[in-house]
Amino acid sequence: MAELLQYLVTGVGIGCAYALTGSGLVVIYRVTRVVNFAQGSFAVLAALTVTTLLGAGLPHGLAEILAVLVAGLIGLLCGLVATGKPGTTPQTALIVTLGLGVLAYAVEILFWGDQPRSFAGLAGSTGGVQTHYLLIIGVTAVVLAATALLFARTDLGRALTATAADPYAARIVGIDVLRMGLLAFAVGGALGGLAGVLITPVQQVSFDSDVALVVNGFSAAILGNLTRPALTLAGGLLLGVVQALVGGYLSTSYQSEVALIFMLAVLVARAGRRGVLEAA
Amino acid sequence: MIEVEGLTVRYGVATALDEVSLEVRDGEMVALIGPNGAGKSTLVNTLFGILRPAAGRVTTTGRLALVPEGRHLFAPLTVDDNLRLGAWRDRKGRDTGPIYELLPELVPLRKRPAGRLSGGQQQMVALGRALMARPDVLVIDEMSLGLAPLVVETLAGHLRDRHAEGLAVLLIEQNARLALDLCSRAYVLEAGRVVAEGPSAELAGSAGVAAAYLGLEA
Amino acid sequence: MTERSERHDRVFWSSLFSSRQDGIRWWWIAGALIVSAVPLLLAPGQLTTFVLLGLSAMAVVGLSLLMGYAGQVSLGQASFTAIGAYTSGLLALHHTPPLLALLAAPIVAALAAAGVGVPILRLRGHQLAFATLALQLILLSVLGDADWAGGAVGLQGLPYLSIGGFELDADLDYAYLVLAGVLLVSLIAHRLVRSRVGRGLRALATGETAAEASGVPVGAYRLLVFAVSAAFAGLAGGIYSFFLGYLAPGSFPVLLSIEYVVMAVVGGLGSIGGALLGAALITVVVQLLTTLATQPGMPSYAPSVLSYAVYALLLIAVVLFVPKGIVPTLRRSS
Repeated sequence: MAELLQYLVTGVGIGCAYALTGSGLVVIYRVTRVVNFAQGSFAVLAALTVTTLLGAGLPHGLAEILAVLVAGLIGLLCGLVATGKPGTTPQTALIVTLGLGVLAYAVEILFWGDQPRSFAGLAGSTGGVQTHYLLIIGVTAVVLAATALLFARTDLGRALTATAADPYAARIVGIDVLRMGLLAFAVGGALGGLAGVLITPVQQVSFDSDVALVVNGFSAAILGNLTRPALTLAGGLLLGVVQALVGGYLSTSYQSEVALIFMLAVLVARAGRRGVLEAA
Repeated sequence: MIEVEGLTVRYGVATALDEVSLEVRDGEMVALIGPNGAGKSTLVNTLFGILRPAAGRVTTTGRLALVPEGRHLFAPLTVDDNLRLGAWRDRKGRDTGPIYELLPELVPLRKRPAGRLSGGQQQMVALGRALMARPDVLVIDEMSLGLAPLVVETLAGHLRDRHAEGLAVLLIEQNARLALDLCSRAYVLEAGRVVAEGPSAELAGSAGVAAAYLGLEA
Repeated sequence: MTERSERHDRVFWSSLFSSRQDGIRWWWIAGALIVSAVPLLLAPGQLTTFVLLGLSAMAVVGLSLLMGYAGQVSLGQASFTAIGAYTSGLLALHHTPPLLALLAAPIVAALAAAGVGVPILRLRGHQLAFATLALQLILLSVLGDADWAGGAVGLQGLPYLSIGGFELDADLDYAYLVLAGVLLVSLIAHRLVRSRVGRGLRALATGETAAEASGVPVGAYRLLVFAVSAAFAGLAGGIYSFFLGYLAPGSFPVLLSIEYVVMAVVGGLGSIGGALLGAALITVVVQLLTTLATQPGMPSYAPSVLSYAVYALLLIAVVLFVPKGIVPTLRRSS
């Protein structure tokens, strides 16, 4: 029983990182229609930045917050490269973000080497579970709630939603669509960065951890067709918990397949349904 | 307010507008009529800077707002949020209260998502959203399209009221009877060219326009 | 209509290996002759690069066809290289004649593609990109766990390829084998592009609904191109296994798939010449930089940093500023 609880809590904790990564993908996709392949790189870059800032003597907390802001800035730059040139289609932008993900490898190895890195999180354990997992869950809950409020309760959030819903109409009322896209990339970058910062104390990060993160984040988000934040959160938690249970009771070697098979199943099932609708 | 001189717009090799000139003066209500594909939407998109002219000049003074064809509301947002965004350029002018006084039909709808409204209600929201920008000139693209006559009459009444308060209007319509009825002057656009212009009464009396747009025998 | 297309099909298949049709241009022949002299001039280390370049080119010709004609992004082309390599490797280790093991590589890769293609080719754009990526990750994970495939260590001690008693045991032999492979693959791709399938797929690229309405069996053509492109990669994988003599899941990382995409995009999607140029250009540039980066005094991470940077910057620059890719752009301007 205690074992089950432990798996559930660690699963939810890891799932939070997927949900954050997935939410970043959703924010960017909704506003720009671009699936940001470099989403995992934000997490890796932020986590590696934390190691440097801590090494430079900054206290915990400050180092993590700064790293998340850096990730937001990197997100903004990625958005500028991927969508800044007029006439860039979402398909083209996807390939550009693929390139940016590879460019991140070069930067990461140059500054931090190719060995896995980690840093200390919240020490101790609560009720048989590492306390840090509770921190991950708490911070994720607060940040996702704040993001939801940003979209629902502020004019900036309304403008982001408006741009996502109808870019033409957004232009008509004077919303700068490109700037909204860049803002979305910045928010997406910060959410991705937060995922990396939170998860690294319990899961080492290396330059190529981004693939697993973006795949898990995408799997979480695909449940809500890349547009529904609540379903993305549900998807992330579900994946995290199932992975923890599979790893705990079956074998850790099947863990990574969980998200992949889930993603394929959702994609194929949805395409099948679309096919039926088209035929009807 | 709006002054268009010798405007030419091309899509690749196709010419959508060919040396079009027209004018909307202070406080004036002007109609632009013509069949589908005449270039009306091209003109709108050029006025609002979405398309670039190949030649000619567009000069506007004062604030311009658009009620676009197809209404283009922000479907997931509430009516109130749609209205607020109408004043996006003006951070301090986003109070929606005055609009509900002008368009009382919107009051019971204010918390409803715009995507769930009927066509007539949506057109009313689109009008309200454009008015939120407190424009000097209102450009309305195909206001009556697909709406019941009664709804169109309500909208037209609101337009007359705003016009009476000094708002200039460029009304782009396929429904020529409505347009000529509302406006003092009109232009007829066909295949990218202005083929007729003048006071509405005169145009309505001309044989060609009457036959082509009012369904009257020449 | 049907009679005509049947006749066309006969012409298509019978002309695959003949140069009777107008298709083969003189510069292709000249280019092939010049390139075939190259291996004789190369140093041993450079021969290895030449072979690997050719293997990439084979996979990239397939990918370019898929992306250019079926309009789809695949991030899993290296899966089929892996399937081909493991097919050849496993068969050869289980005492199948090496030539037979090599021939099985493209066939198994094509069958695998046809199998997964039925469900996943209904996906579009980013969905297909992620689906192909997921399939490759699953394949790598399965191979890494499978005892019959040697697990993470992979397969070792593969025999050399031998054809009719002649054993290919020198790098030069493989250079010419690869050259033959590239020629074969290019020829098939060329014919495929010129065929009814190619014309149908071009219509597809301009508008799916229109193509469907005009009677193009969209799904079947797309599946065919997917299988053919997988076969090309599979053949490359088969040759690879005999050339190196060992295989591991780590030989076919996701990054290899991305490299293929970079090569295809840089050269120009849907262009065979572009695929060959893209593969050659990127292999040579990366090789030059690696040589530079392994000079004494350079840090140990320099080669990987430089090669990642080259892939990334070339990809981004070409996608944004030469969106059709190098070869189609040059052809248009000349």
